[in-house]
Amino acid sequence: MVPNEDEIYVCRCEEVTVGDIKRAIAAGARSVRDIKVRTNAGMGVCQGMTCRKNIERMLREAKIDLDVCCTHQRFTVRLLNVNDLTAITNEEGE
Amino acid sequence: MSLTADVIVIGGGVIGSSITYYLSKRGKRVIQLERDYFNSGASGSCDTMISPNTKEPNEHLQLALYSVELYKTLSSELGRDIEYEQKGSLLLIENQEELNIMEGIVKKQNSLGLNSRLISAEETLRLQPGLNRDAIVGASYSEVDADVNPFCLNLAFADRAAALGAQTFTHEGVQEILLHNGAVAGVKTNRNTYYAPIVINAAGAWAPIVGKMVGLNIPIKPRRGQTVITEAVPPFVHKLVNNARYIVGKHHPELLKDDHSAKARMGIAISLVQSRKGNVEFGNSREFVGYDTSNTYECLRELIKNATRIIPGLKDLNIIRTMGGVRPHSPDSKPLIGFVQGVPGFFLAAGHEGDGICLSPVTGKLVSDLIVDGKTDVPAAAGFDPNRFNLF
Repeated sequence: MVPNEDEIYVCRCEEVTVGDIKRAIAAGARSVRDIKVRTNAGMGVCQGMTCRKNIERMLREAKIDLDVCCTHQRFTVRLLNVNDLTAITNEEGE
Repeated sequence: MSLTADVIVIGGGVIGSSITYYLSKRGKRVIQLERDYFNSGASGSCDTMISPNTKEPNEHLQLALYSVELYKTLSSELGRDIEYEQKGSLLLIENQEELNIMEGIVKKQNSLGLNSRLISAEETLRLQPGLNRDAIVGASYSEVDADVNPFCLNLAFADRAAALGAQTFTHEGVQEILLHNGAVAGVKTNRNTYYAPIVINAAGAWAPIVGKMVGLNIPIKPRRGQTVITEAVPPFVHKLVNNARYIVGKHHPELLKDDHSAKARMGIAISLVQSRKGNVEFGNSREFVGYDTSNTYECLRELIKNATRIIPGLKDLNIIRTMGGVRPHSPDSKPLIGFVQGVPGFFLAAGHEGDGICLSPVTGKLVSDLIVDGKTDVPAAAGFDPNRFNLF
């Protein structure tokens, strides 16, 4: 039993709650990125891996048509060490 | 639905929102329209720097210095923490040729009121530990440079403007500008029609598309920048860090014309800064590739190579994402701010390239002065008159 749904964390990395997302939608947000700007949800270390689907679901439940079925995600997709990437890119460059 | 206002602002970036705020503060009834969401363009894919040190020592620098003054009290004025923090900025100088050019630039900056100075490599390392001593011969340093959270900045302007009576509509793209006897009368969006005798085009890199609706040929071009963001780490970057070469190349491209490396071609710079939360953002590029905002492997490789050479400790960090966006490039690197001659009521405020964050407050102030008073105390404002270009 959760006493208050609004206090549940949707984005654990940035500590954004259901209530925060609801307020963003009420303020006019209509996409995951829009919500990101207003709440920072999805900007943490996992880059929306946990929260993206749940936020998309909340948008649909709020009767907002998403332009796309899933939100575009940028490289690196997973956490990547700079040094490891340097090693790969050096090989490519030579 | 139709609505009437004194002014319609097209654009929901830091320029459009600042203008909406300053006009509302002066008592104008404003409608702001954004075709996507706030910060969906350059204002949401930029770095956080307010850096007069990187401005060309002319009217551009004067505008930036005025903006810095406005920034100092902006959080309290807007009633919201915009994460403004004066950190100081370093332009890293890598060789004697750059040093010679920077000597001239610093002298000109000083004469225009920016208190920048050249410092030794040792002093540079004291201000920003972790730099590769072998990679630099020194730096130019400016204390007033600061950073800010662009998301907070934009929403603070828009929310404060709304509290003052402005009406802001997102997800509404302007499709047509209504004219009456050749003068601006309003705009038509995908949803509604709005009426006002003044329409401000603050659409950034997309300003030429809006300009076409009234037959203008606005010489702004999208210029892509790519950047890298790491996970949050303890304080590691204390200053805003840039390559002097980036500034030299920005203001004197002729000096780099014999440099055909991938780095020079893509305009690679370190643009290093750390956010309040601890994320390190580094790397920047300047590429003309239309409105394509994707990240390319070739560019990221050069960004990382350049950055880790200058500050090797970056190698220990983990990247969480990369970012790409397009800035509004103007042919003389200066924004276009003012009424357009030939289309009464049509006002242009775009073309800030990579200086939108820095120049956001002063642009709003300048635009509201010109519209409400017909004059301004912002210095050198005439230098940004859009009619310096042939717009037809």
